[in-house]
Amino acid sequence: MEQAPGVLRGSVHDGTTLESIQFNEEIQGIMAPAPAPENASSFTALLELPPTQAVELLHSPDSVNAAARKPPNCHVSANQKPFLLNSFGNSGNLTFPSNAALIERAAKFSVFAGENSPPPGEARLVPAASGSNLVKNEPQETDSNPCSTHGCVSDPAVENKNQRTAKRKEREKKVKGSSKKSKGAADETSRDGEKLPYVHVRVRRGQATDSHSLAERARREKINARMKLLQELVPGCDKISGTAMVLDEIINHVQSLQRQVEILSMKLAAVNPRIDFSIDSLLATDGASLMDSNLPGLVTPFMWPEVPVNGNRQHYQQQWQFDAFHQSLWEREEVNHNFMTPENSLLSYDSSANSASLHSNQLKMEL
Amino acid sequence: MATMTNTERSRDGKRRRKKKVGAEGHKWKSQAQQQIYSSKLRQALARVRVGGAERRGKAVREAADRVLAVTAKGRSRWSRAILRSRLKLKFTKHRNKKRHSRSHSKKPRLSVYRLKGKTAPVLQRKVRFLGRLVPGCRKEPLPVILEEAIDYIPALEMQVRAMSTLVNLLAASSSSSTQ
Repeated sequence: MEQAPGVLRGSVHDGTTLESIQFNEEIQGIMAPAPAPENASSFTALLELPPTQAVELLHSPDSVNAAARKPPNCHVSANQKPFLLNSFGNSGNLTFPSNAALIERAAKFSVFAGENSPPPGEARLVPAASGSNLVKNEPQETDSNPCSTHGCVSDPAVENKNQRTAKRKEREKKVKGSSKKSKGAADETSRDGEKLPYVHVRVRRGQATDSHSLAERARREKINARMKLLQELVPGCDKISGTAMVLDEIINHVQSLQRQVEILSMKLAAVNPRIDFSIDSLLATDGASLMDSNLPGLVTPFMWPEVPVNGNRQHYQQQWQFDAFHQSLWEREEVNHNFMTPENSLLSYDSSANSASLHSNQLKMEL
Repeated sequence: MATMTNTERSRDGKRRRKKKVGAEGHKWKSQAQQQIYSSKLRQALARVRVGGAERRGKAVREAADRVLAVTAKGRSRWSRAILRSRLKLKFTKHRNKKRHSRSHSKKPRLSVYRLKGKTAPVLQRKVRFLGRLVPGCRKEPLPVILEEAIDYIPALEMQVRAMSTLVNLLAASSSSSTQ
């Protein structure tokens, strides 16, 4: 107990921060049940930082390390936070008195954190005031806020703000403002924000935060992500900027592909009669070429049983009825094609009626 | 902290793979898929009945599309739409001769969009056009159309690759057999 302040005092050169160190211990004691800084949310990580690391940040030469350490915290844990916070916010009987002063200081602190990577020397003047203020305010907050939910004592300040804005985007706005340099992590979380059931939009500074614009922004981000993927798919779309041009390119590409399929199908139709005559030889040659490449073993066995029954349609129908009991994809495809093409025999007509229901059933099972 | 980010990323990667938004058509680029498709296509082609000249061309095209949809395993809207259209056609061929005429009456309602300005209908028109190109996406909103296109374009490319290989093989074998 004596060691800790001693150690800190050793690193501290300012006498004025002695107070902050004592508050430091109290807060550490209070926040012991709280999750570790790595697991906590971005803002709470920031809040925890002032007592523990603000001192270091203020007075240690390797403030860059701390700043570099901080953003991954923010962005990693921001993912977990949504579930926690939203559940806390919705479970609803949190009556935390809103503290405007704390919010302002949090804003000031975010400014401090934002300026941390540039010369820490300048930042020392600002956070010296805000850090100690934050530290002083925290015990007040934690004392007056009986946190009904366990484990997140550091959250009251955040949930405070949550209640005020009714969304966590406000907090993320400050986080975003404070951690501009970690773009990679930001991209990841914004991408992850798409996937979670709650829509988490990364709001930049100065942008509106009402629900309509947020939903609109989420929708736009989804659309932009998909457009980017399409741009990668379609060749020659990378240099084009503007949705209309990209759409034009996509449409052209799809049309050209479909035209190619048409032409190839015409060619195939022209060459097709040869298939029936020379299917054995064709399969032999093709089997060789297929096996050269990495063909999964299950494809070739499907082909070989096809060969002997192909000439005889009646025999084929009987085998179809046998095969209908199996569930493999080959069988299903058999049913498909059997159902689609044969109309030249009475037997096939009946079986096509049967196969229709079977086909729809199998379709449903596949889906 | 590093492990945390790793697990986060892996979990989200799994989620992403499950949701298939960023699929990028990787499954259509694989050689295995192409082989599966070509083998099925060959089976289908062998069963296409020898009709008239123009009928066979269209039948081949439809067979190729159908096999493509089957290879997609019905996980995308366009594949389901292709299979559904064949079903409907077969069922209602004798009842409804003019079933397809209804689908051609799709016109953009310019009167509504004029209010928004000139640029909005242009984009809208393009989106609707793209929706018409991709099977089964006529009435879908933009994000759905984009997602379908993301899956449809690699599938088409694979189809073109497979069919061209098939044509080359057939041409080579037929020329060698006739010689």
